[in-house]
Amino acid sequence: MKRTISSLKLPHLKSTAPMAAVRMPLPKEVLIPCSPMTSHSGVHSEPVVQVGDHVTVGQLIAAEKDRGSSNIHASVSGTVKAIEPYMSGGRKATAIRIESDGKMEKCPDLKLPEPANLDEFLQCVRQSGVVGLGGAAYPVWAKLSAAQKAHIQTILINGAECEPFITSDHRLMLEHGDLIQKGIELLKKYLGSEEYIIGIEKNKPDAIQALKERFRDDPAVKIMELGSVYPQGAKQVLLYNATGKVVEKGQRMASLGVLIINVSSLAKMAEYFVTGMPMVERIITVEGSAVKEPKNLIVPIGVSVRDVVEACGGLKEEPGKIIFGGAMMGKTQESLDSVILKATNAVVIMNQKDAQKAEPTPCIHCGRCVSVCPLGLNPVAFSNAMELPEGMDAQRAAILQKEQVNVCMECGCCSYVCPAHRPLAENNTAARGWIRNWEKAQKEGGK
Amino acid sequence: MDKPIMSAGPHIHSKDNSRRIMLDVILALLPACVAAVWIFGMKALWILLTCCLAAVFAEALFCVITRKSLTVSDLSAVVTGLLLGLNLSTNVPLWQCAVGSVFAIVVVKCLFGGLGRNFANPAITARIFMLLAFSAVAGGAMPQGVDAVSSATPLELLGKGATEELPSLLDMFLGLRGGAIGETCVLALILGGGYLILRKVIRWQVPAIFIGTVFVLSLIFEGSFQLALYQTLGGGLFLGAIFMATDYASTPLSLRAKMLFALGCGILTVVIRQFFSYPEGVSFSILCMNILSPYLERLTRVKPLGGV
Repeated sequence: MKRTISSLKLPHLKSTAPMAAVRMPLPKEVLIPCSPMTSHSGVHSEPVVQVGDHVTVGQLIAAEKDRGSSNIHASVSGTVKAIEPYMSGGRKATAIRIESDGKMEKCPDLKLPEPANLDEFLQCVRQSGVVGLGGAAYPVWAKLSAAQKAHIQTILINGAECEPFITSDHRLMLEHGDLIQKGIELLKKYLGSEEYIIGIEKNKPDAIQALKERFRDDPAVKIMELGSVYPQGAKQVLLYNATGKVVEKGQRMASLGVLIINVSSLAKMAEYFVTGMPMVERIITVEGSAVKEPKNLIVPIGVSVRDVVEACGGLKEEPGKIIFGGAMMGKTQESLDSVILKATNAVVIMNQKDAQKAEPTPCIHCGRCVSVCPLGLNPVAFSNAMELPEGMDAQRAAILQKEQVNVCMECGCCSYVCPAHRPLAENNTAARGWIRNWEKAQKEGGK
Repeated sequence: MDKPIMSAGPHIHSKDNSRRIMLDVILALLPACVAAVWIFGMKALWILLTCCLAAVFAEALFCVITRKSLTVSDLSAVVTGLLLGLNLSTNVPLWQCAVGSVFAIVVVKCLFGGLGRNFANPAITARIFMLLAFSAVAGGAMPQGVDAVSSATPLELLGKGATEELPSLLDMFLGLRGGAIGETCVLALILGGGYLILRKVIRWQVPAIFIGTVFVLSLIFEGSFQLALYQTLGGGLFLGAIFMATDYASTPLSLRAKMLFALGCGILTVVIRQFFSYPEGVSFSILCMNILSPYLERLTRVKPLGGV
């Protein structure tokens, strides 16, 4: 049965869309966390340099250790000043502080990768340290390695960029069509996939035009115009809207013969095969009501928000909220000392006024959260379940399991529309955590 | 410098809030209020004012006595008061109006946990309570200046088969007939309904299905296009379908269930009108469906994307 996926028409807030990405001035130092995304628990890389070491751009400074971690490379040349703990979003990681010598000296050991087969190709991608740049930060090589087990027929390239504020993927599609093309060539050569769909929201007509032009003579590549609605770029939503397929419970996307990769991740991977330089920098959008001159910047990984803001003319107001990512799913940061990670696609700094959230009032049972949920869930039921008193855990679990809170992708649509300003999405996150722990406890208790 | 706020997403919000929605409903009810005063005279105004004031005072007093924070500023008590007032006729004494309002707010709404937690529509339940307690609610009162042969409402006339005494269809549409003060002027109700649909406060499917079902079933039972129109324009169908069957707290959440709810209301309304001793069935049908709401929700559940 064909279903319509509910979505939201959000304000785009993409004032930086016409601004070409410019390289920011070299910072005095960078602090590079040995974790692709510090909100991922238990995913760390092991530092392979010591305090006092001289490092060059592209040099490996931390090697992958845990599953899901990636190689980390120096983004500036200079001296390792410290290896210190770094806190972000309540998670702890080790970080390497490098004082720049201002020379941006390239690592002499770098050479162009020339893989002979799929396995070698995956190893090269592994070396590059490229992770999912859309926010998930999962290593790209690990994702592509699904091709070793199953034939991937369709590669879905995610250029939807449905989040308000962010335009870094948009700029990339406009300015680096060559890298996207190179990326597709690599996948064609090593994965042998037949179909390449680049999904782009209609609010980026110039990017659609440019890529259509570029791939005019390539029948394997299809540019798909998508409605400018949120959350168009979410995995399940994009998959369904582009192919009509659904990843059912317990299934992996690869088993459908489809693989979704963010357009920036693809380009960053291709860049490694063109230049031999691993992932040391990226494009970010700097936006928000407290920023003087919003911009798209090319920044070294590990640069502080403070330095990034400086490159955008500074702040015009006290920061009320610092967000990594978009207005819907972005994660707030403690201070201007937070540093840009590989998966940080935008820094949004709101003024005090925009940062305020209205106080929640009682639920009026209007049903907007239900009608807006892209996955067809019932957010208010999760809320009611979580409000049950302590002694009613069994009932709470029954509701959460029946209504399947575990399917929720935390896109935030329910919170956005709630006229009572109830923190529904936040509550869903709590409910997912609660039911996970409860199920675990049940299992252990049963043994 | 203050520390930046740490919070979960989303970091932006739609401009809507609960109060704004209640205000929209009040605005949408204004044409019906104006029509009520225009058709039934100043007594209609006193009824509306009495109901609203009693509702607001009752809620405020309840909050004070139960030591809860004052909730009258969310305007929902005003909506309930207005709706109840519009459902009464001019021969209801004002003290009865006040008693009905207090019943709606305290018994039907506040005792169930307040805003959004009542399973039945307060105005409708209070109207039925008044019907049983004081008997005269809708019938009997005629528009001012109308020299009617009988004081019966069109539905009572239809029930008796006295079709020759019915007002013209145009008068039915404009509201120049006997009945509750807010239910007669269909034109004003449609204006308000249109506004609510445009503001996305209600879904058009609910009144459309409710009214459509009543019309089609009446056509089948009455066998006459004209009589079916009288059935549709008569009674409190438009008031009920636009403003009561779309009440948030007492109706299902999902659109599929809401549509089923409207269908059930339409069927029950015609069944009550045709087979029961009451000439009017809108209030009873909505109350019955209010009770069935949770089951409709369960009945219309679909598989979440990527779930089971």
